[in-house]
Amino acid sequence: MNTLNLAWRFVGTSLLWFFFGFIGLILSIFVFPLLYLFARDPAARQVAARNLIARAFGAFMWGGGAMRVFSFHVSGMENRDSERSQLILANHPTLIDVVMLLSVLPQVDCVIKEAVMRNPFMRASVTTANYISNREPSDLLASCVERLRTGASLLLFPEGTRSIVGRPLEFKPGAAEVAIRAGVDILPVVVDCKPRFLGKHDPWYRIPPSQPHFAVTILPPVAVDELVAGSPDDRHARYELNDALVSLFESELT
Amino acid sequence: MDSDELFLRIKGILVDQFEVDAAAVTLDANLYEELEVDSIDAVDLLVQLKELTGKKISPEVFKDVRTIRDVLDALTSL
Repeated sequence: MNTLNLAWRFVGTSLLWFFFGFIGLILSIFVFPLLYLFARDPAARQVAARNLIARAFGAFMWGGGAMRVFSFHVSGMENRDSERSQLILANHPTLIDVVMLLSVLPQVDCVIKEAVMRNPFMRASVTTANYISNREPSDLLASCVERLRTGASLLLFPEGTRSIVGRPLEFKPGAAEVAIRAGVDILPVVVDCKPRFLGKHDPWYRIPPSQPHFAVTILPPVAVDELVAGSPDDRHARYELNDALVSLFESELT
Repeated sequence: MDSDELFLRIKGILVDQFEVDAAAVTLDANLYEELEVDSIDAVDLLVQLKELTGKKISPEVFKDVRTIRDVLDALTSL
């Protein structure tokens, strides 16, 4: 029974990736170019593109659940205030964290790796959605702050890459610096996956012994000055904020 | 601007803005390990050097920069 279940989850995972690539290709070739015809205004096009991405990612998460490849649960949605600019910070245990998070937080900004910006399967969607590229390190911080100041919400993974299992959580100071410079509330989002699936250095076909469960917990928003005692202008404030954030996430990840 | 002057300007930025100990700033001190400059400071430095010299070190080159000498080499090779 267990072997059968494992075999099925392998087939299901393969199908899921196949559809992911296939739908991504269809969207890139047909649907995103059509957006340029029907939504002439770039702002409207951005909203439409992000909704489309959220729907596609939602379908992926739904599909994985329906095929019993994994289960997925989100709690704390009431803490997300889409009327306000929030800096959404999430830990990054798996390959599909951004899929999970954008499926439930449709209009947020995020930073995209330059390699993804050039990937033919994804280029059309990420450029139409007007996400931020990490190509120019000297512009990245400023772009993030600017988006937040103009009222958008931004999703960042402060680890900068997927977590390494068995190592203490480590955040790069960039996310804390963005929070301080933009002066917006932080919305901490804890992502957990048990048993381990799609982690760093895990090939996609490594299927865990039992069905993995993805849990996304959106915590109540926190203001920077709740976590930093001194002046936020101080150079050390980003380290203080960073340490506070790491402790906050570690206390949630048990 | 010659490289001696540039070195002094970089030293000035490190000491005044990043609170680095002036005595520790030498041509071959490792920015990240010895002077404890983090990635955000490094980007700040990059932006200020661009304003100062009008030359822009590419992200690819800057990734390999470890010492102030590397910074000067990168700027003079442009």
